Amino acid sequence: MNTLRVLIADDHDVVRKGLKMLIEEHPGWEVCAEARSGREAVAKCTQSNPDVVVIDVSMPDLNGLEATKQIRKACPRAEVLVITHHDSDEMAAAVMDSGARGYVLKSDSDVDLVRAVEALGHHKPFFTSRVTEMFLANRGGRVSDPAEMLRGRLTAREREILQLIAEGKTAKEVAVVLGIATKTSDTHRTNIMRKLDLHSVAELVRYAIRNRVVEP
Amino acid sequence: MASTRVLLSDDHSFMRRGLRTILEATDGYQVCGEAADGLETLNLASQLAPDILIMDISMPPPNGLEVAAKLRDSLPKTKILLITMHDSEEMLRAAAEAGASGYLLKSDAEELLLAALRRLEENRPFVSPAFSPDLARQLFE
Repeated sequence: MNTLRVLIADDHDVVRKGLKMLIEEHPGWEVCAEARSGREAVAKCTQSNPDVVVIDVSMPDLNGLEATKQIRKACPRAEVLVITHHDSDEMAAAVMDSGARGYVLKSDSDVDLVRAVEALGHHKPFFTSRVTEMFLANRGGRVSDPAEMLRGRLTAREREILQLIAEGKTAKEVAVVLGIATKTSDTHRTNIMRKLDLHSVAELVRYAIRNRVVEP
Repeated sequence: MASTRVLLSDDHSFMRRGLRTILEATDGYQVCGEAADGLETLNLASQLAPDILIMDISMPPPNGLEVAAKLRDSLPKTKILLITMHDSEEMLRAAAEAGASGYLLKSDAEELLLAALRRLEENRPFVSPAFSPDLARQLFE
C-alpha cells in the first residue's frame, strides 16, 4: 500500500500538532512537511511533493486561498483541503474558486477531517452538505460573493501585494519578500489603488479587511 | 503526587487535540474532559470541578469571557487560562475583569502552555509576553 503524504499549513503550532496527531494515527498516512505561512506552504509543496495539502485560510505573508492557487499551479497533482473558522457562503465560494477540492470548518469533527483527507487522497472532492447546497444554489444563478469583484480586478501578484501591505509592510519590505525591485513594488501598489479606486494606505487596509484578504 | 486535572474548552477540535497531545506528553497533568462550546463547558466544569480550565474566548455562546464570569462564583478554586488569538489590550482587560487567571495567545501556546499552567498552579497569573508586563501586573495582580 502506498503511503499517503500530507503537508500541513497553519500558523498556530498547537493546531499543527493536533492535525499531525490526527493524520498520523491513520495507518498509511504520514505528515511529510509542515508550514507556518502560505508562502512557506507553496515552497514546501514544491520540495516535498505531497499527495494532500491541509491548509488554513488565515495565515501571514500569503493567505491560504492565494497559496492554494499557487500550489495548484506549481503542484497540480496535489489535492488541497482548506480548513477555516469562517463559516460563510462567501468563504465557501472563495475556497472553491481557489482550486481547493475540500473544505472543512475548524469546528467540524476530527471524523470530517479524516473523511476529507481520505476522499482527496483518492482525488475525489469533499465538501460538507451545507457547502454543496450553497454551490448548487450559486450554479443556479445566485452568485453573491463580494470577494469576486476583487478576484476579477486584481492580478495574482497584486492580491499578494495587497495582503502584504495590509499586514503593515512597506513597499521596500514587500519588495524583499517577493524578490522584486522597490520601484516595481511601488508600481503594483499604485495600480492596486487605481483599480480599486482607493486613495490611501488606510483605505487599502480597510478594503483588505472587508474582503477578508487579512484578518481584522 | 496527584495530577492537575485540566478541562479543555475550544470549538476547534484540532486545537483541543493539539492541547491534549501536549498535556498527555507531560507528567503531572490529566485531561479530565473536553468541551466544544460555552454551555458544554459550564456543564462539564460543574460536574468535574477541574483544577484548571483552558478555554478559548470565541466560542458558540456563551463565550469564554461569559463562562469565566459565571465560574468565578460557582467554582472559585478552578483557575481559568484563556487561550485566544485576540491580542488587544481591550480583550486582555475584559479577561481580567471576568476573573481569568491567565491569558495565553494561541501563537504562544505550544511554547508557553506549560509555563502558563505552572504559574497558575502557583496561584500566580500568566499573561503572554506580547503585552507589557506593567499592564499585566496592573490587571491581574
